Amino acid sequence: MTDELEPYYEALLFIAERPLETAELAELAGVPRVQAEGALSSLAERLAEDGRGLRIQQHDGAWQLVTAPEVGARLATYAAREEARLSPAALEALAVVAYRQPCTRGDVERVRGVDSDYVIRSLLHRRLIVEVGRRDTPGRPVLFGTSFTFLERFGLTSIEDLPPLSSDAAQLTALAPAADGE
Amino acid sequence: MTHPEGMEPIPVEADASVALPVGDGAFTLALPAFEGPLQLLLHLIESRQLDILTVPLADVADAYVEHLARHPVDAANLSEFVAIAAQLILLKSRRMLPAEPLPPVPDGVDEPDEDELRRRLVEYRALRDAATALGERDGAAPAIRREPREADLPEVPAEPLPAIVLAAALETLAAIPEPAPPPPEIVVREVTIGQQISVLREALSGGGRVLLQTILARCRSRTEAAVTFLATLELVRRRQVSAEQGELFGPITIEAVAEPGA
Repeated sequence: MTDELEPYYEALLFIAERPLETAELAELAGVPRVQAEGALSSLAERLAEDGRGLRIQQHDGAWQLVTAPEVGARLATYAAREEARLSPAALEALAVVAYRQPCTRGDVERVRGVDSDYVIRSLLHRRLIVEVGRRDTPGRPVLFGTSFTFLERFGLTSIEDLPPLSSDAAQLTALAPAADGE
Repeated sequence: MTHPEGMEPIPVEADASVALPVGDGAFTLALPAFEGPLQLLLHLIESRQLDILTVPLADVADAYVEHLARHPVDAANLSEFVAIAAQLILLKSRRMLPAEPLPPVPDGVDEPDEDELRRRLVEYRALRDAATALGERDGAAPAIRREPREADLPEVPAEPLPAIVLAAALETLAAIPEPAPPPPEIVVREVTIGQQISVLREALSGGGRVLLQTILARCRSRTEAAVTFLATLELVRRRQVSAEQGELFGPITIEAVAEPGA
């Protein structure tokens, strides 16, 4: 059964029209969640290692099959995706959300030092970020995280795939931990 | 923007590498528009190739205030720019009075401190660089998912409608009252004396004698009857007919007068 799980999931994610949750995938195959996760991770690794044209994207407990970033640029002629470019301000806010998620608009504004209401809304509108909950602090501010759309657009298999931040930041964060709270 | 009181450019320190004047009259620097104070501060440090981890931030206070004074910033973020300016001036003033011991900061007071500002700068720089890197890979090598096909769309039930639904619909239609008829058209029915003379002549052409009442009985309105009566009087005046009434409200006999030459 385990041997059949990987091709089954590969095929299932191929025909699925939306990202499938781990729980769904486990139930569909009639296996425990851990086993489903193991098969999906191993499938993801195998696709990447073999340099295949497809990759598994994982985000927020869901999985989907996408084209490999390596072939993404060459697919453009067929897929013809014309995305409006993001402004530097929008990219900056998106970077804060991507690296600090889940985070609030206040977090973004603290890092950038400027009001970020408009850029946050534009990122929400483009579905690059989504609301993922609320922080349990006074005012219960909305928490934002990145979406599958974000991973797709930037050719990432998961948010762990993001390039690490420059090391200075780590040094300094260790030196003086960030004040928390809104 | 003019120099606010007390914010006249402070004389530049001896360290010339730090104090590169911004916007010196000799040449004009085409600086990007700074959206935020951290962006500006970072630019001032980097353009002087100073080490962000060690440079005393007070050293860039002059350049920062100078820039703020010369280049108007977006009013929406002005307070953030000014807040950082105040922080820098405080740092600088502390350095100028090194002997003065600082009073202890009471608990709960948010005293801006150089390490905190530096930490913010470093964090901002890391994320700004990450944003630049993201921008470079934006759409360059996307991971494309399968687009939903027509077959993926939820099916819409397309069964034939039961007859009862149609019957009910018909009943509903039938129950709708007919629209109220439009108000009757008011057309002035013109009756002229000339027309009624013709009518009388026609009636007299048969036997030469007619009861006026029989003609009046055919009239469709009071006006027509009155006009017919006037037509009779007109013919009497012209001496073409003679009229005779035996008693009050009795029948009126009209008789054609024989033409003199006929």
